[in-house]
Amino acid sequence: MLRYSGYELRSRNMNRAIFPLLLGCSLWTALAQDAPKQDAPKQDLPKGESILDRYVEVTGGKAAYDKIHNEVAKGTLELSGKNIKGTIVSYQAEPNKDYSAVDITGVGKVESGTDGTVAWERSAMAGPRIKTDVERDEMIRASAFNAHLNWRTLYDKVETAGSEAVDGDDCYKIVLTPKSGRPETEYYSKTTGLLVKTSSVNTTQMGDISTESFVKDYKAVNGVKMAFTRVNRVAGQEIQVHLDTIEVNADMPKDRFDLPEEIKALLRKNGAIPDAK
Amino acid sequence: MLMKYLFLSLLAAAVGWTQIAARAAHQADLDSFEYVWKTVRDKHWDPQLGGLDWQAVHDQFRPQIEKSENIEQTRQIITEMLDTLKLSHYRIIPGAVYSDLAKDSSVAVDGSVGLDVRILDGQAVVSSVEPMFPAKLLGIKPGWIIERIGRIDIPSLIKNFSTTAGGSTLRDLTLRRAILAHLEGIIGQNIVVEFLDEKDQLAIKTLTREPPKGTLTTLGFLGPAYVWFDARRIKDAQSTVEYTAFNMFLAPDTLMPAFGDAIQSCFKCDGFIVDLRGNPGGLGAMAMGLANWFVDQKDLRLGSLLLRDTALKFVLNPRPETYSGPLAILVDDTSASTAEIFAGGLQDLKRARIFGSRTAAAALPSVIERLPNGDAFQYAIANYVSEGGRELEGNGVIPDVEAGLTRAALLAGKDPALDAALQWIRTQKPKHE
Repeated sequence: MLRYSGYELRSRNMNRAIFPLLLGCSLWTALAQDAPKQDAPKQDLPKGESILDRYVEVTGGKAAYDKIHNEVAKGTLELSGKNIKGTIVSYQAEPNKDYSAVDITGVGKVESGTDGTVAWERSAMAGPRIKTDVERDEMIRASAFNAHLNWRTLYDKVETAGSEAVDGDDCYKIVLTPKSGRPETEYYSKTTGLLVKTSSVNTTQMGDISTESFVKDYKAVNGVKMAFTRVNRVAGQEIQVHLDTIEVNADMPKDRFDLPEEIKALLRKNGAIPDAK
Repeated sequence: MLMKYLFLSLLAAAVGWTQIAARAAHQADLDSFEYVWKTVRDKHWDPQLGGLDWQAVHDQFRPQIEKSENIEQTRQIITEMLDTLKLSHYRIIPGAVYSDLAKDSSVAVDGSVGLDVRILDGQAVVSSVEPMFPAKLLGIKPGWIIERIGRIDIPSLIKNFSTTAGGSTLRDLTLRRAILAHLEGIIGQNIVVEFLDEKDQLAIKTLTREPPKGTLTTLGFLGPAYVWFDARRIKDAQSTVEYTAFNMFLAPDTLMPAFGDAIQSCFKCDGFIVDLRGNPGGLGAMAMGLANWFVDQKDLRLGSLLLRDTALKFVLNPRPETYSGPLAILVDDTSASTAEIFAGGLQDLKRARIFGSRTAAAALPSVIERLPNGDAFQYAIANYVSEGGRELEGNGVIPDVEAGLTRAALLAGKDPALDAALQWIRTQKPKHE
């Protein structure tokens, strides 16, 4: 999944931060994938890259994106129907740095992040861990800033797979095949050109988890349209994320993406970085 | 005359409104019944429900719901329908709990008299007395038998429930909960409790309910709860052991750091004890978070959640520093759910030795949702299998060393499970060093 307006992609990392919360709440069921509907003959469909290009244009254009070098998003989230609510904050910066924290009442904080090399997670419930293999690759790829401008470095190919209605909106369905990990599916409105839904199977330490996300509520921030609402269906549960603010080119602390001390300690233990002693 | 007509009109409107409200309430009960039935059909991890004809169950109970006259009857009928599943973690929670919560979560919590209870040989026996609580100050001691709480005759309660519960592993867990519920109540109110003391003499005590110890926490529709954590060092000439206990796997923001501090202060100790007796579970991920302090090998698992379409692994991630000495876990028939996952998983990994008595065998991950009639519905969404391939639901964790509580031991100030664990740790000392 590419980072188009920042939030869409970062939401995927937000989802990752939410997985342990779901586990903590024992909220686990598999998610059935929707069967494709209204498939059109492939020869009538635009190429995947032109759909992505159109998205960039309708959300502000390359020049507007080029002016954005980091983002800070803050908002709230709720597990629908479970009376479980919390806050979410996310920082992201060029080229692929990310830090997200979800804090839910009664469950505690789950943080995750990457400095572009190490991908990690730390939760009040389960403690710290370092992500490895495909899980690491997926997180770092999801953290790539302005990735749409050079998606070919992240994905081997993008193909248009058909047409499908999403909440009554006729959409193009494209499949992005990454260099590492599973293909990801995205749905773009034929009318507006905006991304309205994503679908993927996320690799986690616990197993593969299907995720569907419905992207809504686009608003312009510094000349780029960004989505402020995302409804995630993951592990049979629905999580609504509403952002209150997205600040771009924010004045971030220099150590914002530094690895937490516990993560450094794990790296030292694993021999990945020298012991300070 | 005008006033009379006005009054009659108002009365007629009120009666009409009452009838409309009653119909709406009845419809909400019917909708709740259908919601529960469909949820089980669609979300039970086993689509076959273990061979149970769920449609037939629906057809059996639907006529009863249609005749239900109030929400209490509806709750009872739905509960009976859920009982046909013969599984834990399926229950209806009265909506009144949430009405109280909406007002003020702190007042929705019942006060405590500072007693804990176990069912031993068919009797409700005081198993512990909290320091500084009324029970302690009035001289009540472990080993005393509770005969009556207010107007509730406890032997009758135990006898009646034991008859209906049969051989359920949840019998003693449920009875303990019921007896504690009778002891609990509005903070500041008194309750008269009749005991049989150590000489089997009647002792009548008036106990004042006080705020429970611990930290108040809430989670979704689970309701408010006080979570406490205790740690103490047990030292003698032969060994130094860290003893820890906590009443629930909740409030990770406070409990996990406290547990971490206890371990980090005792890396060199000869042994570590985690007492999970009376612990009904809570957040599943906390089992991993605690176990991560005791393993130093990657890719170990406590077990797996088996969902309808997939399996999710409870993978352990060793902490930067871990405790490698002997680990003893104390359990009994009131240790349930996440407590069983933690104990059973570490037992299968041969990382811990388990002392006490068999656990409650109620280890299903579940969620809680509100129903149209205002009640809440807790239902399981997966089965749990320990790393050794054991289904904990219905089986529980069997201790390596059987050392259950007895009244005689309590009266003598003994704790058989703790004593056995300490004895084992002493024999392990050379290995640890």
